[in-house]
Amino acid sequence: MNWNTAVYIVMNPLFALVLSPLVLGLIKTVKARIQGRPGPPVLQQYYQLRKLFHKEIVYSEDSSFIVRLGPYLGIAFMLTASLFVPMVFIPQTGWFGNIILFFYLMITAKFFMVLGGLDAGSTFGGMGSSREMTVSSIIEPVTIMSCAALAFVLKTTSIPEMFRTLLAGSIFSYPTLILVGISLFIILIVESARVPVDNPETHLELTMIHEAMILEQSGPKLALVELASGVRQTVLMALLINVTFPWGLAGLAGCASLLLAAVTMAVKMLILAATVGLFESLLAKIRFFRLPDFFMIALFLSFITIVFELLR
Amino acid sequence: MQTVLPVVYAALPLVLILIFWALGRHGLGQDNRFLNLFVILQTALFLVATTWAFAAFKLPLGFLHGDYFYIDSLSLYEILVTSMVFLLAAVYSRGYVSSLVEAGELDGSILRLFYGFFCLLEMVTVLAFASNNLALLWIFAELSTLFSSALIVTLKARENIVAALKYVFVASTAMLFSFIGIIILFAVSKTAINGGSLNWTSLFDAAHNMDPRLFFLAFSFLFLGFAAKAGVAPFHTWVPTAYIRAPSAVAVVSGTVLNLGLYAVLRLYAIGYAAGAGINLRLFLFIFGLFSIAVAGFSMLKRTNTKKIIAFSGVESAGLLLIAFGLASATALYWALFYVLGYSLVKSLLFFSAGIFHRQYQSNKYFAARQALKLQPLASWGLILGSAAAAGTPLFPIFLAKWKILAVLGEVSAGMLGATLFFLLPAVIGLGYYFIRLFRQEPGGEIKAFRTPLSMKLPIIVCLTSILLLGLWVPGGLDNTLGRIVASLGF
Amino acid sequence: MMNTGITGDLIEVLFVLILGTAAFVITQRALRSLFTLYAIQSVILAAIAVVLFAEHRTVSLLFIALLTLVIKGFVIPAFLRRTLVVLPTKRDIEFSYLTPASSILLSAVLLFIVYTSFSNVAEVLFSDRLFFLGGVIGVSLALMGMMVIFSRKKVVSKIVGYLTMENGVLLFGLFIAEMPFIIEVLIVIDLFMLIVLSTIMAFGIDSSIEAFHKKLTQLGMRFED
Repeated sequence: MNWNTAVYIVMNPLFALVLSPLVLGLIKTVKARIQGRPGPPVLQQYYQLRKLFHKEIVYSEDSSFIVRLGPYLGIAFMLTASLFVPMVFIPQTGWFGNIILFFYLMITAKFFMVLGGLDAGSTFGGMGSSREMTVSSIIEPVTIMSCAALAFVLKTTSIPEMFRTLLAGSIFSYPTLILVGISLFIILIVESARVPVDNPETHLELTMIHEAMILEQSGPKLALVELASGVRQTVLMALLINVTFPWGLAGLAGCASLLLAAVTMAVKMLILAATVGLFESLLAKIRFFRLPDFFMIALFLSFITIVFELLR
Repeated sequence: MQTVLPVVYAALPLVLILIFWALGRHGLGQDNRFLNLFVILQTALFLVATTWAFAAFKLPLGFLHGDYFYIDSLSLYEILVTSMVFLLAAVYSRGYVSSLVEAGELDGSILRLFYGFFCLLEMVTVLAFASNNLALLWIFAELSTLFSSALIVTLKARENIVAALKYVFVASTAMLFSFIGIIILFAVSKTAINGGSLNWTSLFDAAHNMDPRLFFLAFSFLFLGFAAKAGVAPFHTWVPTAYIRAPSAVAVVSGTVLNLGLYAVLRLYAIGYAAGAGINLRLFLFIFGLFSIAVAGFSMLKRTNTKKIIAFSGVESAGLLLIAFGLASATALYWALFYVLGYSLVKSLLFFSAGIFHRQYQSNKYFAARQALKLQPLASWGLILGSAAAAGTPLFPIFLAKWKILAVLGEVSAGMLGATLFFLLPAVIGLGYYFIRLFRQEPGGEIKAFRTPLSMKLPIIVCLTSILLLGLWVPGGLDNTLGRIVASLGF
Repeated sequence: MMNTGITGDLIEVLFVLILGTAAFVITQRALRSLFTLYAIQSVILAAIAVVLFAEHRTVSLLFIALLTLVIKGFVIPAFLRRTLVVLPTKRDIEFSYLTPASSILLSAVLLFIVYTSFSNVAEVLFSDRLFFLGGVIGVSLALMGMMVIFSRKKVVSKIVGYLTMENGVLLFGLFIAEMPFIIEVLIVIDLFMLIVLSTIMAFGIDSSIEAFHKKLTQLGMRFED
């Protein structure tokens, strides 16, 4: 293991960890401003996490080791997955980066969360888990199709390799990436439980999906679960950003360039976060059984990408 | 002298539209008899001009250097059939529309619009037949959809709007595919003609230089649209809906639009045949033809609406004509063209009679028709003889045509003949069963007879006599013309 | 010919955008957005014609672009929006035969079928890959419009489906053969009349029949009252 890789292994997950509460906070602020409220401070999520880490943990009497173990596994898988998407610089190693493995790591993290929701045997948890799995299984073909489209366009399955190719070209050499970008955006919305699919703000029985699953978690465990969700969102955003607008990503590790790349990435991330907030404010939540229509657009666009590339 | 034709075909209707517009909404503008006079005048002049052209001019005629308009025997023959049907319908509407206005089904203020669209429909149909350019034909065909759907909505009922919209959407959607076909054909023609062309004449002359495979591709797109206009299954769905809702006079003239679709298919087929795509095209036409006959036949078995059963009989005859075209034999084509004339008359007869029934009983359903023979003897005999003719009973013109076409079909393929006969059978049974039910209704109580005006009886009498005459004897001039058309198409 | 260079790339980007709008036309429920999508699609189409003009210098392309921009980009959408004022519902939520999800799936399949069936004859009809691509996308767009016509119940959205189809045909025409310009003009006129008529009829379905006939007598263009 060389120096470059070591820096990458430390830096990439850390970057995601540190940035994700800020991204969450910014989305909340944007939405609040659009609704005409002052909203919480942008840094609220950090305070929230600190508070949670200082609380005690309470478990349901009916729960088993799954609830206790789940959050650790969740954050571990998410951090591993975050290694697959270079956010600041592209490492000179072929260890990480298979896009299919990346999505499966994310799914595994979700799997433990779903099990945790079921474990305590509360009605809400079961309902949330069942909804989450339904949504996941519908979005799955879309995700795979988008992976395939990306791999097809860029002729590689490795995410860092993709970014490297993109840095060398331009949007004109890969016009279909516009379509893949839209698909990835939809996947981002679904995976991070955002408005047309889920409502991250309510604890209403009728609407919640994600929140229902983590009702049984408390204290530091809840903090870990929230952090894992935050990292998931950040990583997906990074993927979207680097696919559609990779410029600013450092090719090599050097102190100054690293700092510059980190700042650029953070800025791009915050712009995307604001966009997501805006998007959420513009749409109303879609009825559960209409969700496939929404996903189908993503599927269609990915499919079109492949056909289009075939034609070129 | 040739300039007479464009003056009559294009300028006259436009002048009439202006007159209608100038008349204003009140007074004479609401007078059916007055407005109708103009329409009869136009349709009569169309017929006179066409007959005269047949007698006096040496065909083919070209206008605007022959690039855009061009009239040969086939066009003129179709124009003749069209203007005949329009004249009959114009005379018929004199009494029919008055009765609609009295019954409140048609608004007096809308009469000008009704007759205006009537004149325009005749204009675009005739111009479509006279077009030399395929794209021009396409546009006139689109306009004919537009005007006939406008004629359907003039009746005061929500169902009419639904029917008209269905017509517009089915026909125009299919016609857009046709347009794709036109574009492909244009590209294909570039390989054979310098600069490309969409003229029938140039395409026909250069056909042997075209790639049959590419022509087949263009044809399959073009066919979609014109088949929809001709009422070929599975694009026939608008035919029954539109015909039920259309006033009888409109239903009659819409029949000429069906002829237009078949005319375009015939022209294209002739080019394809010359290009050497005959075998593929034949299969194509046979499949659609047989399918239409089957769909129409089985749909006719359990109908309760007179106009609907007539509409399906139209789908059936479109199918039969496709098969006749597909045979690509001189005899079959000769009789197919004869069939077009005979069937136009039969269908007009049926719709005219059905219109009188509708005025009498305010319904097109068979069970409404009580004491039909006593109350409306002429219309009843019109329906009986007309349906007998449509079913192909001997001594009527359609029998002759069907017989000859099927005889040629039998020579080509016995299996195909068997299938066609098998699917023609339900159509015959359906027609017979329907009219037997209609005329065997319980007499019921006293019904006030609708006094049928002479103008509604006259077209029926004309249709009946000409059908009976055509069944016995093909006039020399007609025989001559049909022979020339067949020769000009190269079969 | 133009596989290389910036024009080819630009046209490909525009193709991608056209396909994107088509996907949204299939799924969009709010009528106003549907009209806007159509307008955007037409403007993209006009842009394609302009780019082609820059490459080929055929003046008729510029006229087509202008005609498309004015009639389809502004006049028809504005006309449709005006009818929306009197329509009782602003959203089209009923679908027959196909749900939006299945029509989207189907259109993806159709695109593939069109691609395979045209690839047999590609060399003769299309001058290069890019033109082939344009032709395939044009036919697919027409098929997608047809699905909108089939699956929507509201007449106004059916009209948008028809218009989308027409855009597809125009796109196909741009990339396969240069039609005589006069024919293009006639077609646009025909399209316009068809739209006016069917919109008036659509309006008739949603209003009382007497009011509709009053409109028809005045050749129904004023919808405000």
